[in-house]
Amino acid sequence: MKYILLILLVCATSFIGYTFSKKYRIRAKFFQSLLYLCQKFDIEINFSRERLKKIFENLDEKNKSNLKGIDKNFISFIDKEVSLEKENLFKGIPFLKEDEKDLIYTFFKSLGRSDVDSQSKEIKNFQSRFDAIVTQTNAENKKYGSLTMKLGIIAGLLLVVIFI
Amino acid sequence: MLEKILPDEVFNILAKQVNFKSINEIRIRTDKPIVLLIGSRRTFLSNNGTTSNIKEAIFANKIMVEDIIFRASECSIYSVNEQIKKGFIVTKGGIRLGIGGDIVEENNTIKTMTNFSSVNIRLPHEVKNCSLPAFDYLIDENKVYNTLVMSPPGAGKTTFLRDFIGQLSERNYAYNVLVLDERGELDIGTLGCIGNFSDKISFAKKTVGFENGIRSLSPNIIVTDELGQEEDIEAVNYAVNCGVTVFASVHSDSIDSFLKKPNFEKIIKNKLFQRYVLLSMENGPGTIEGIYNENFSRVRL
Repeated sequence: MKYILLILLVCATSFIGYTFSKKYRIRAKFFQSLLYLCQKFDIEINFSRERLKKIFENLDEKNKSNLKGIDKNFISFIDKEVSLEKENLFKGIPFLKEDEKDLIYTFFKSLGRSDVDSQSKEIKNFQSRFDAIVTQTNAENKKYGSLTMKLGIIAGLLLVVIFI
Repeated sequence: MLEKILPDEVFNILAKQVNFKSINEIRIRTDKPIVLLIGSRRTFLSNNGTTSNIKEAIFANKIMVEDIIFRASECSIYSVNEQIKKGFIVTKGGIRLGIGGDIVEENNTIKTMTNFSSVNIRLPHEVKNCSLPAFDYLIDENKVYNTLVMSPPGAGKTTFLRDFIGQLSERNYAYNVLVLDERGELDIGTLGCIGNFSDKISFAKKTVGFENGIRSLSPNIIVTDELGQEEDIEAVNYAVNCGVTVFASVHSDSIDSFLKKPNFEKIIKNKLFQRYVLLSMENGPGTIEGIYNENFSRVRL
């Protein structure tokens, strides 16, 4: 019985570690997909003048999944179901910092508001800022993502040693 | 579509307290009362529907105007910039928004329009059979006459053209009709019927549309809206010389003012059109005032 409890303890601490590391992975993937979205916008707006809703709908499943619903939240605004408020745009997205939210919110607010040239320049500006965040989140994921996972397992093993 | 464009507070009043079918235009200007054109009567929009008292009128603001234009572009201004440069947007369903604002020029060409200050929403209506009283005068046994429909703005030229195409189709006149829809107003989707024998070229200049259309779609009839520029007249001339019938419209409130119009001398002199239909707002949009032949003698009314 004691050994079973100890195994469960290791599992629990590992899971906590995994949960923490997941946050870093999600953030990294989210910003990578946001950067991809910028590139896609720039191409579609310049060459096919495709409308925003269509661009969002045509996103591949992997990127849609990485964006954690921000695409759907924005489509709801396009469909006039909700207003473009921060709480509506970031509904179901708890892992962003306030300054990141501000930046992303400004980005979404700027979409579709101007002619091709101005829109393209604006997107490129946001692209470079998202690019910097992608580098940062990738580094964080590399550094802290695996670290928290390992710490979770080590903490579990330490507790096992203590209890034995 | 209108519910997607208008602010909820305005749309709800229109939907609940004003008969949509009777509205021809909604004029929304920054810091001015919202004006409705119902039939040929202008009135203000109020919380209780319509009013003639300006104090009860709902006033629009700049955000409202900008939001309407943004929504009409399906939240993608860049996708309709070519239309905005010409001063309008046409939505799905043929709702046309005339836009007022600041023109941005670069190297002597219009780049875009910004700082939107007013919007004129024109609602299309299908007036079934409105062309019927004129139909027999515009068509011979085997031939549709080259016809020019004239009226002041908003008096039903486009509706007349649309109905005429539908009538041709309904009566199984299997002419290949090319609808050259420069402003996207002629084909209004589910509302209007451009017939079963029609091809459509949208948002192309008349010169391009006429030439490409004749070459690639070999139409018997070309239907197009609002002739005006010299190049439009050249395009009509080209089509008629190719043996294609042209059914078109032009802004003019009378035969006299039409005869004074610049650019149209050649058309008049060469008798390019065999029929002229004059419309007015007398008994509502689309009232047929008269039908004239190439010598401007009345053939009806």
